[in-house]
Amino acid sequence: MTTASMVYRPSFWRTMWTNAVMAPRTSLGFMRVDFVLGTVFIIPLTQMVFFAFVVQLGGGGASAIAFTAVGNAVATITYSSVFSVCQTTDSEKQQGTMEHLLVTPANRFALYFGRGFIPILISLATVAVGLVYAAVLFGVSIPLSTIPTLIVSVVLTAFAMVGFGLLLGGVALYLRTSIILGNIFLFVGLLLSGVNFPLSSLPVPLQWAGDVLPLTWGLEAIRAAISGDSLTSVALLWSAVALAAVVSFGAAVGLWKVFERRALSTGSIARF
Amino acid sequence: METAVGHYSRTRVTYSALRLSVLQFLADPQWLVPSMIAPVIFALVSFQLFRGAGPYFLTYAILGAGMMSMWGQTLYGSGWATGQDREFGTLEPTIQAPTPYLYVVLGRVLWNVISGLVGGGIVYAVILVVAGGPPPVINPVAFAFLFVFVMVTLASVGVIFSAFYVYTRYAGFIQNIGEFAFYIGTGCMFPVVLLPFYTNPISLVFPPTWGLDALRYLSIPGYHGFAWGFWWDLAGAVGTTAVYLATAGFVFHRVERHVLEVGNLSYY
Repeated sequence: MTTASMVYRPSFWRTMWTNAVMAPRTSLGFMRVDFVLGTVFIIPLTQMVFFAFVVQLGGGGASAIAFTAVGNAVATITYSSVFSVCQTTDSEKQQGTMEHLLVTPANRFALYFGRGFIPILISLATVAVGLVYAAVLFGVSIPLSTIPTLIVSVVLTAFAMVGFGLLLGGVALYLRTSIILGNIFLFVGLLLSGVNFPLSSLPVPLQWAGDVLPLTWGLEAIRAAISGDSLTSVALLWSAVALAAVVSFGAAVGLWKVFERRALSTGSIARF
Repeated sequence: METAVGHYSRTRVTYSALRLSVLQFLADPQWLVPSMIAPVIFALVSFQLFRGAGPYFLTYAILGAGMMSMWGQTLYGSGWATGQDREFGTLEPTIQAPTPYLYVVLGRVLWNVISGLVGGGIVYAVILVVAGGPPPVINPVAFAFLFVFVMVTLASVGVIFSAFYVYTRYAGFIQNIGEFAFYIGTGCMFPVVLLPFYTNPISLVFPPTWGLDALRYLSIPGYHGFAWGFWWDLAGAVGTTAVYLATAGFVFHRVERHVLEVGNLSYY
């Protein structure tokens, strides 16, 4: 006789590792050289060049171009951390694996965090390459002494953004498609997160909306690190980014739990 | 005895493809984002960046974002449609049908043009509200005609891309990578002459580069675009668009024959 205690439960770490390795090859569709090279090397360059020329046409000087270059170098993180991660829900539904996933006894936090592991690495690479472009092509000065604080800022931002992607993926569980959410948040940061101009130049309600996005805090921490602000002020921003990461991951897991329960009771999750 | 081939009408196929595109859009409006929401955001960002630079910079923002709207539809809509056909297993039956695939694509591209124009209208309305009034346009009627023509030049690029997408499983990759590169190359938000001179020949390969330059000459007083001016821009736009459309017809014919001979259409 099978009892509940006899049900096999994979370990936390095994679930996390399996998801970290398998998800990029399946639902995330990451494990392709063209995708990685494009995301890490080409998109940051083209996006930065585009906005640099727009700023130049608008009469912005070298400092405005440098501001935009750093902003877009960091903003391109959204492609791998938010857009791709958010789409994992769609992939599971389309491939018919969502129902199977939901009936597994795997630890959910391990499952979702594992899925975010490779996107975090790709996000780190994207920002690193973007910042190299900013320094080499757009004259952004990044003193060597700021590198340690910059690394911490970038790592925290990557975690927060992937958490945000998972959160959107959780919301998308209940939608027909996640692509709309992914697309909206792919671009909205360009307007509301201080990527191309200081957030203070926007109307106050839009500034509040920007404050909700992890990209805003991550970008501010990265800018503060580059400009060599004191450790205390950078640490304050780190706290904000870390808080955004914790809230995002927590809310993602909570949302998935709610929708999972609902899906199991109604049997409707795989509809799309 | 020769097998009787069913009668088909190219007009009917084009209309059916157009109708299906509209129905798919209504059933699953995810393309609303690349065609309308993203351009509005780009328009607002550029509006903010151009703030204080003069009234005619509004035109830059509207033209650029309007073109992005159309490009989103062309690149994503046309390209994605072929990819979806392949994924759903409908590409082979469509190509095997007696109607040339070009007319199926044409129907889709027509919808892309229409929704791109709607997107352009939305961008215009948003900028109108944000800026508190319309941008000054010297010759509105000519501007409207030329704007529609620029959409057609974009559609011609979309048709070529669609032909190419039949061959490749990397349509998604090209779409993502090509987006900003195309915006830069065609100067959708700024004059191409701002780019390094050696890149200009590449830009001139694309019909929208010519069309957009002509549009700016028409609508922005004192505009410094290509030295040859408005009329040569217009001639270049017409010429390159004609070449693109002719090439598209030829390429589609070849692509169809080739994939039927090789039988590798559904590989992806």
